[in-house]
Amino acid sequence: MKKILIALVLTLMANEIIAQDYKYGKVSKEELLEKFYPLDSAANAAILYNNRKTYLEYQQNEGFMVITEIHERIKIYNKEGFDWATKKIDYYNSSNAREKIINLKATTYTFDGNKIVETDLSKKDVFDQETNKYWSQQKFTMPGLEEGCVLEWTYKIISPFKRIDDLQFQYEIPIKKIEAKMEIPEYFVYNKRSKGYFTVTSKEEKKSSTISLSERIRQGGDSNQHVVTSTVNVTKVDYFTQVEYYNATNVPAMIEEAYVSNLDNYKTAIQYEYSELHWPHEPVKYFSTTWENVVKTIYDNYDFSTEIYKSNHFSDDLNLVLAASPSDLQKITGILDLVKSKIKWNGYYGLSKFNGTRKAYKEGVGNVADINLNLVSMLNKAGFKASPVILSTRSNGVPIFPTIDGFNYVIAAVEIENNLILLDATEEYSAPNILPLRALNWQGRIVRENESSAWVNLTPAKSSDTNSSMSITFNDAGAIEGIRRTQYSNLNALNYRDNYAKMKDDDVILKVEEENGNIEISDFKIVNKSEIYKPIIEMFKFTSEDLLDKIGDKIYFKPLFFDAMTKNPFKLEKRDYPIDFGAPFIMDNKVGIKIPAGYVVESVPENLAIGLSENYGDYRFSIKIEAGIINVYSMLQINTAIFPSANYDEIKEFYMMVVNKNLEQIVLKKG
Amino acid sequence: MKKITTLTFLLFNVLIYAQDVDFSSLSIPENLKEDANSVVRFENLAIEIKSQREMIISFQTAITIYNDLGDDHANLTIYYDKRRTINNVKATVYDSKGAVVKKIKKSDFKDYSAFDGISLFNDNRLIHYNHIPISYPYTIYFEYEINTSNTAFIPDWILNGSYSQSVKSAKFSLKYPSDIVLFKAEENFKDFEITKEEKPGFLSYEIKDFAALKREPHTPALYDFLPTVKFGLSKFNLEGVDGEALNWKEFGKWYYDNLIQNTLELPEDTKQKIKRLTANASDPVEKAKIVYEYVQSKVRYISVQVGIGGFKPMLAGDVDRLGYGDCKALTNYTAALLKEVGVASYHTLIFGGQKRSLNKTIASPQGNHMILYVPIANQDIWLECTSQKDPFAEIGSFTDDRDALVLSPDGGVIKHTKIYKTEENLQTTKGNFTIDSEGNITEDVYIESTGTQYDDNLLSNDGKNQKELDIIFKKYLSNINNIKFSKIEVFNNKDAFKFEEKLAFTATNYGVLNGTQLLIPINAFNNGSEAPARIRDRKLPFEISMNFLDMDEVKIVLPTQLKIEYLPEKVELNTKFGTYSIELIKIEDHTYLYTRKLKIVSGNYQKEDYELYRNFRKEIAKHDNSKIILIK
Repeated sequence: MKKILIALVLTLMANEIIAQDYKYGKVSKEELLEKFYPLDSAANAAILYNNRKTYLEYQQNEGFMVITEIHERIKIYNKEGFDWATKKIDYYNSSNAREKIINLKATTYTFDGNKIVETDLSKKDVFDQETNKYWSQQKFTMPGLEEGCVLEWTYKIISPFKRIDDLQFQYEIPIKKIEAKMEIPEYFVYNKRSKGYFTVTSKEEKKSSTISLSERIRQGGDSNQHVVTSTVNVTKVDYFTQVEYYNATNVPAMIEEAYVSNLDNYKTAIQYEYSELHWPHEPVKYFSTTWENVVKTIYDNYDFSTEIYKSNHFSDDLNLVLAASPSDLQKITGILDLVKSKIKWNGYYGLSKFNGTRKAYKEGVGNVADINLNLVSMLNKAGFKASPVILSTRSNGVPIFPTIDGFNYVIAAVEIENNLILLDATEEYSAPNILPLRALNWQGRIVRENESSAWVNLTPAKSSDTNSSMSITFNDAGAIEGIRRTQYSNLNALNYRDNYAKMKDDDVILKVEEENGNIEISDFKIVNKSEIYKPIIEMFKFTSEDLLDKIGDKIYFKPLFFDAMTKNPFKLEKRDYPIDFGAPFIMDNKVGIKIPAGYVVESVPENLAIGLSENYGDYRFSIKIEAGIINVYSMLQINTAIFPSANYDEIKEFYMMVVNKNLEQIVLKKG
Repeated sequence: MKKITTLTFLLFNVLIYAQDVDFSSLSIPENLKEDANSVVRFENLAIEIKSQREMIISFQTAITIYNDLGDDHANLTIYYDKRRTINNVKATVYDSKGAVVKKIKKSDFKDYSAFDGISLFNDNRLIHYNHIPISYPYTIYFEYEINTSNTAFIPDWILNGSYSQSVKSAKFSLKYPSDIVLFKAEENFKDFEITKEEKPGFLSYEIKDFAALKREPHTPALYDFLPTVKFGLSKFNLEGVDGEALNWKEFGKWYYDNLIQNTLELPEDTKQKIKRLTANASDPVEKAKIVYEYVQSKVRYISVQVGIGGFKPMLAGDVDRLGYGDCKALTNYTAALLKEVGVASYHTLIFGGQKRSLNKTIASPQGNHMILYVPIANQDIWLECTSQKDPFAEIGSFTDDRDALVLSPDGGVIKHTKIYKTEENLQTTKGNFTIDSEGNITEDVYIESTGTQYDDNLLSNDGKNQKELDIIFKKYLSNINNIKFSKIEVFNNKDAFKFEEKLAFTATNYGVLNGTQLLIPINAFNNGSEAPARIRDRKLPFEISMNFLDMDEVKIVLPTQLKIEYLPEKVELNTKFGTYSIELIKIEDHTYLYTRKLKIVSGNYQKEDYELYRNFRKEIAKHDNSKIILIK
């Protein structure tokens, strides 16, 4: 018996030694002495422990409040990690309603060689700042930092709103242990959606809860009883509470990589959206849950139906456009142009109106919804089957589950002969099915007048092409002279116009010269600058002394001159996130080089044709010599907007071969 | 009948006046439209100093905007704080014909905290209105009035703070009471026609028909060549504190007595600690170095700007307790510690960043930064107390070579900070590379930098982890594809005053195989040099802001299987902007020493020199791309 007892005690003690104590203030010497994060020595700081509890609590006279308690312990390994010692807590603070931050406590722990030294944050070093009319921020930075120190803080946010902040499980620094507990009474239904690559374990259970509603009742004071008494009448209400537990250990840091549209899309988190209210003895109130609900809510809340189907403030202008447009396509582009010219975008996203369609049209300014709902409305009036498509911008992440919060942008769609034409009048240079990059985020949801809805693919099907042709001669001074014509289509044309259409030609020349190895340009011309439904064409003559090497009796130059791709854009050894090209593309270059008198071709690079697996893309390079002209042809084609990270090595290798080929030179020799 | 004629005349006069402030865009002269995204039709800045403690600033302007590149000027922002109130804000937008499009009231402005992006906290606020234009051109009229007690800060009068903007007319006037003396410093007036009126208690300037400037590469800062006037008062108020000063000596004394003197107290145990740490140092320079390094290890830079705290250092005792502070707080803390160990040091007001001196001729609060001046035995030591990484007495390009105000109990003195000679800003690159017959290379390289180049590398590379360094050095060596690093080490060698970087890597296909030939670019490690853009008909002078010297020595080992067909020749370029030379020296068969030396001299140059400078840089870029050619 004794043996067992001893063994038991020993095991318990052993457990004690291994188990880290996460109570506030119980920071261990081991935590303070740790020199680097064991699983990622590159980390400047790590979250040792993060605990969040969010629950809805009934408060007399206030109703249900959302209460969130945070407890966090952070290790700072070196000076680069000091930024993590500054904490900012945003809270809603308007004149009508406010959130409160209470019980804030924070401590810095250091080790002085003998003992743990605690330095508490003092109240007067916490700053409260109004960010704008609605939001404020509490900010503090920890006192007495040293490399290796541990920080800890805890606070509580009390909110009168039913909104629950995302449960975030991944940060820019690694996490050793993270826990969360959510308690939601049966009356409230939240939609949950999780995202990210890291797995979090979870557990759910139900518990019963009780609210005591107290009411003071006065009795007496009538003819029979002369004494007035007052009693407190307590009503008890029983209900179930849904309890969810989450925990994760050793969560890796999120690191930024090139060609990622929005890192937040890949961060592990659970989002909560308030979707239904089941109040006793009242009909259920729906906020979202199914796509039908989402669509219905959007139509009701955001006045889509009024804004779209009951407007005629634009009739005169619309009739003029329709009278001048014989074909359907002309009508559509005519209406798109009309909206673009009438209303300028104020830079705000959103599904809800800013000015409303009528006022926006009158004043000439509106947000995304004001502008594109006008567009839908006009297209309908013109007899097209047009509907809004709601979507989430690149900066807003990707919505997967039925949700309203997930969407922040709306465009217009016309359904015509089994085709779908997408339109966005917020962007001056957009065209049918050519949307600005911000809207190209995977899928949108078309919401029709009959309140049916469906997914719509937003990834551009049209590839954005660059077609360039160049002819080159060598002059007597040893320089090259050339003419170049480049045509940009679709998304490339939109981007080109965005960058250059408003600039004076002189300024564009400067940019083009700088981007192309300091060639000197003359006779510069841009065709279709404002003919936005046509590809844009850039033409110029140029000279350069720097694009060739004359060594002895030989001339060396790259076959594509300044169009050569000389650097591999993929430099990382390994990649975790998909590569986002924005749209499929073709880069097509033709160069004709006149062999100068007195020279012969000594060598030219060999032809090359390579491809990526699954038809993701290919590259072709060939040279033909005919009638004193060297004809070079190079074509890089990528058939996907999003390239999977699993094939990263392949695309890196592919680009390496393209670059190597582009670096090879043509050699001419006197002869 | 005659009466009526007079009336017509009067009306006519009124009409002419109305025409003058007409908001239509049609009357703007052609020469002001050239290179302009916007035109200031008129601007009127009128300042009235009512007393030592009251200043009223009233401002009216109308700006015509031609395209979206000028829209920023329709972004209306006004700052305010507890001692600065905004009155009478109003704006009106007109279309090209001068018809009113929109009237903007104060309630249309949004109120924000003035986040500066750096401070943990600052109590400045702003109101803001952003106009979305429906068509171009349009004209925005904007007026406001500010009432403040901060008479220490009379706004500078600056002609046109931005490129691509013309000014039809700009007026400035200043009224001040007779018991206060006004100081003014006029800068860059000589090439401009400025009407000036000056009488007791009043001063005004006016400039007309200033045509827009186009931004050109390597242009000096606008305030270096456009007219500016700075002001100061003999009696002023700064955040509630009255001051009187007729010169720098008095101003410095006022600043020291009121804002510094009583902030230097340290807790007793810190005093003992710093005395203990310096006990064995006899030399004051050594003591100062120990104190500086103690501060670096104990505190970090966090800015908190509240009221007078924007000017007065946080108490040394608070910095000791919190372990953080802004430039004033950390400078003050260092000074307090130095005082404790018997080394005298002086708070110094300065402009940090782009090279800019205080205007010596008027005593007024100038500068945006504070450093510490420690004179020890004929040696001027300057300390940047916000850096946890700088070596002792290295201030780098953030505060070098400029006039600054040194404060002391005896008063203020203007001093010039450390000047870095070109040879001090040295980067030495030493390396080896071996190339095989397929063009693959194996390299190791050691880079050492001092002076301002030290500072640059320190800021960008020190303390970065391996993943970050991998990205940084792949970018630095972007002329080499397919790099695989086997070693990246960076070391802030504070004691030797140099930053050290050691790299080792392999890269495939560095040499380009061309049939039977192998082309090998000789400059592998320092090949980022590019010529500045060609400017047709340059209008502005240009400046080379950084002076430096780069010395490279690289041993190149060529594959013995291949024959050498061509070796680049020795090059030497000599210009007034600097010198450049490269040479390949044979060590043994197939082994060469490549040397490169680039020296750039800083300075201000005439616009005519720009093309010469560009040609110099073009030549350099060309020779940096020289290749060795081998053949099978």
